[in-house]
Amino acid sequence: MRDAFEKSSAGQAEAEAVERLLGETEAVRSEIRRAAASVDWETLPSVIADRAMAERGGALARSVTPGLRGWPFVFLMKPALAGLAAGLVVGAVAMYLALRGPAVPQNRDDAYYASGDFLDRAELELARRNTLDYLEKSQYVLLDVFESADRGAIVPAALRSERARDLLQKKKYLNAQLGTVRMAKAKALCDQIEMLFLELAQVDEELPAAELAKLRSYVEERQLLLKINLVRKELESGV
Amino acid sequence: MRKASLVILLALVLGGVPAAALRGGVQAATDESLFREVKLLVFDKSWPAALDKIDELIEKFPSSPLAGQALFYKGECLSGLGGREKEALKAYKSYIRLEDAKPSLVEESEGSIIDLAFDLYEGGNSSALEDIESRLGHANKVVRYYAAYKLSFVSDKKEAAKAAPVLERIVETEKDPELLDRARIALLRVSPERLMSAEQRAPRTGTTARMLRIRIRAAGEREPAFEINIPFALADLALGALDEEDKAALRKKGYDINRILNELSRSKERILRIAGDDGSVIEIWID
Repeated sequence: MRDAFEKSSAGQAEAEAVERLLGETEAVRSEIRRAAASVDWETLPSVIADRAMAERGGALARSVTPGLRGWPFVFLMKPALAGLAAGLVVGAVAMYLALRGPAVPQNRDDAYYASGDFLDRAELELARRNTLDYLEKSQYVLLDVFESADRGAIVPAALRSERARDLLQKKKYLNAQLGTVRMAKAKALCDQIEMLFLELAQVDEELPAAELAKLRSYVEERQLLLKINLVRKELESGV
Repeated sequence: MRKASLVILLALVLGGVPAAALRGGVQAATDESLFREVKLLVFDKSWPAALDKIDELIEKFPSSPLAGQALFYKGECLSGLGGREKEALKAYKSYIRLEDAKPSLVEESEGSIIDLAFDLYEGGNSSALEDIESRLGHANKVVRYYAAYKLSFVSDKKEAAKAAPVLERIVETEKDPELLDRARIALLRVSPERLMSAEQRAPRTGTTARMLRIRIRAAGEREPAFEINIPFALADLALGALDEEDKAALRKKGYDINRILNELSRSKERILRIAGDDGSVIEIWID
């Protein structure tokens, strides 16, 4: 009987079929291959049969209910089923190994890691968001100047000056990424606004409404607010 | 006509020239008029013309306070021209030594010195780095932070690592989210392990010290084509910075960054697996 298992070409073919089937499962393919490769398919059916016989033995044959009594003999009689069972056991183990957690390189598991390319892209993404913020805040400062021209000073000059200084500081951090082709339009506009803020940052005294009106016409002539809106739209769409 | 009105506008509104000075004598009016022209030309990025006016101002009125102020604009012109970084550096350094230098322009000058020194270093002048390193201990935190940020980009990793202590300090203490994120990325670039210890020393929220992991595998490949482990605080940014093709694959599956973050934060599943039509697999999870 044992010889019959060892030499059973039917059992081996069954085992190979199982291996092929499991090999097609994308998520666990490589793990299963390794596991499958580690199994001696020629001898496994007989090992299973031996163990089943040894554990259950004659006592089992005597005590089990009549309906279950014949199970070991099913394996004995059908080597293909033994092969299938072996394949399922190995497959289940491989499945467990594959799905217990994402397969990741262990050496990076506990440390921060990101490639230089990714960090550059992250910087660019940060610059996109911060340029949007910069342009939005620039609009507020310019609109404040506009309103002050109509109704007199709304925001104290010292505060306006401080805001301009904050924006100048933000602009410094944006410069590196604004140099890229994708951000060329934003750069030209931000540079222009920067010069305006460079001057506003130095004006601590209240400006007469007439002078604010002149400043407004200067900004209007250059259509800075319109340009800001256009560039903002582009940046918002992820350009 | 338009130009003339702009000159007047800049003089009165943008010039920052005290009103008393405007009421001064002939010489004051003249050096001021030159100074106004300089500013206007700088505003229009007409660097050579502005430089000519600055030289004229310094030559004709060497004792005028505006001659000193013009040094800042000289630095702007020279750095704007390109190829004259050393001269620009000298002009800015001269400006910040002036007793009546304006704080806002001093801060700008310091930033420009750092930028110019970086360009010179990357162009092969190794001693230029000294101008950045010496500012890591600057009393003004704006200057100190910017020096550390810029130094993190230096290609020599040993030199770049000198920025780590300042960057760590920013991660631990800074409240401005923009500066914080920049410091995190800069520290990730020069010393990921120091970023991790800084985050652990000063966790801002329950999630700050947690780690976001992303793996992207091509169809049938075990080794990821892309992988990152970064602080969860940068999760939003990291997902936004994914490659366009990967982002398109996510969108096609109905995922956007907000949905992913929501699912990750709400789900009890620790991993989010998204399979692309081409067989690629994107795995995102938090530890």
